[in-house]
Amino acid sequence: MADIQLVNLTRRYRQGSHTVTALDGVDLRIESGEFTAIVGRSGSGKTTLLDLAGLLLRPTSGTVLFDGEDTARLSDGRRADLRARRIGFVFQEYNLLPGLTVVENVTLACRYGGGDRREGRRRAVELLEMVGLGHRLRHRPDELSGGQQQRVAIARALVNRPALVLGDEPTGAVDSQTSDELVALMRTLNRDEGVTFVLVTHDLDLAAQTDRVVRLADGRVVSDQPAAGGMAVTASA
Amino acid sequence: MNEIFRNLLRRKVRSALTISGIVIGIFALTTMGALAEHFNSLLDVGVRYAGAAIAVRPPAEQQTGLLPLSKADEIARVPGVAAVRPAYSVSADPSNTAIQLGAPALITNEQDATAFGFPTPSFAAGRDLAAGERGEVVLGSTMAKSYGKRVGETVDLPVRPTDAKPDFVNHPFRVVGVLAKTGSPTDGFAQVDDEDARMLLADTLPPALRSAVDVSNLAQTFNVYTASGTSLAGMDRIAQRINDTVPGVQTQKPSEVVANFKSTSTTFTAIFTGAAMLALVIGGLSVVNTMIMAVGERVREIGLKKAVGAHTGQVMREYLLEAAVIGAIGGLAGYGLGLGLTTLVNMAGASSNLDIFLVTPRLSAIAVGFAVAMATIAGILPAFRAARLDPVTALRSL
Repeated sequence: MADIQLVNLTRRYRQGSHTVTALDGVDLRIESGEFTAIVGRSGSGKTTLLDLAGLLLRPTSGTVLFDGEDTARLSDGRRADLRARRIGFVFQEYNLLPGLTVVENVTLACRYGGGDRREGRRRAVELLEMVGLGHRLRHRPDELSGGQQQRVAIARALVNRPALVLGDEPTGAVDSQTSDELVALMRTLNRDEGVTFVLVTHDLDLAAQTDRVVRLADGRVVSDQPAAGGMAVTASA
Repeated sequence: MNEIFRNLLRRKVRSALTISGIVIGIFALTTMGALAEHFNSLLDVGVRYAGAAIAVRPPAEQQTGLLPLSKADEIARVPGVAAVRPAYSVSADPSNTAIQLGAPALITNEQDATAFGFPTPSFAAGRDLAAGERGEVVLGSTMAKSYGKRVGETVDLPVRPTDAKPDFVNHPFRVVGVLAKTGSPTDGFAQVDDEDARMLLADTLPPALRSAVDVSNLAQTFNVYTASGTSLAGMDRIAQRINDTVPGVQTQKPSEVVANFKSTSTTFTAIFTGAAMLALVIGGLSVVNTMIMAVGERVREIGLKKAVGAHTGQVMREYLLEAAVIGAIGGLAGYGLGLGLTTLVNMAGASSNLDIFLVTPRLSAIAVGFAVAMATIAGILPAFRAARLDPVTALRSL
């Protein structure tokens, strides 16, 4: 279980002679076991927020508390360890390694997680069976459809039993039927495995299937409410 | 490791070209190295022999090129001299006058001086010459092979040339021993008793001189032995004493002879090093190029690996290992080709005492180890670039 807290998080980029503020003093708390969508227009800061929450980026100011631990003070190595053991990623373009088989792609995350290799493989097979690809273990990514590749990526994100899975437009490259299937799959894993999901998306249909929708605009949180029109949570600007 | 081989197979032509570059370099390194090792081994033997005895020759101005045996007594009285042995050598194959890369086939008299630090012979078959027994011969390994002779068989020495003059003489010798291969010039020698050596020396004289010269009291040179363990500097002093006190002879300081051998050895080592440099440039540049291209193509993969928890050092190690595997494949293939060629050439030249390559365990280790080390070093820059990639930029690159 992971409790993620973004505290006054700001990220600025240099773009030529200009400084662009991608995220501007965001405060946000994601509770363990939540299934949350981050929405907003292009350039609103969604992906930057995801990169900061996933410890891929360091903030310009503010910090990310991961289960209460201030990650801003951690070394690159310790942040990599946290990514390996506690965080899973699902990307729009799947990002599977073409030279590896399906099961090898899933166990790739175990390679850096430092766990038992045999247990990692057993877990990978279990997850691939769970996502309906138990019969494609030795296939290469280019032998699978887009939806199947994203299922492999979801299995990879979960193989180290992470507390948090971050999805960057996880259904952005598949058709709507496959998208619904993938969301249903993530929902099941969220419920059965207790994994916290944070999905960045343009897709409002997908957002509507989550528990909570956080809307960003110009690097700030402009709304934060239950997806099905329930009670609004905190809104920080 | 599977991932590395699959990555190499993803770009078959490029991998093949890179590995070919290393193969060519290591092939050159192996063949040139085997040539250098062969000559250096000959020179090492030269150093061992030069360091084991002081060679005493007739003065340069003396035309006969022979010394009276009585000089041995005079030399033996010089302080520090432990033993004096006459030395003879005549060609075993007078017809073979062509310039050759291998050592000449010679008939020499056995020195029997191991007590003074002279190298101990090792027998592949048979035994040593029996003291005072005429008509026996011990053949070096190459000579036994090229003449197809075994222990117990008879060999006529010297070998009769196809265009032998009417006065050509040779004698039958019974092969009593065959020496183990040493890789040195002595492999092409036949060793006989002193008396037999003098008889063969007499046969080499012009017919008009044969009756006039009594070779039984002559030596071509003397080998002067000192107490076992005498330093080169000590032998130099004894050589100088012989020059100073014994008229009609001339010695060269053993240290000068050894230095000559070593300077020649340095030349061969320089050739070997040159081949290594060539391998370094050809192989190294191709590995750098390939690995930089591989890193460029796999930016997203590297970003993904870092996202799922790979440390900078782990990514670096993976790319260094890939470079090392390229080096190992190229190194083994190049070494294999070099070993094959040198073995074939040696087999073809064995019958004419022309084995000019020597692939030693040291050379094998250097050839393959050098390829791996060179490729790994060449992989450092690309691996460093891969390891330092920012995961966010890498993940979202095109």
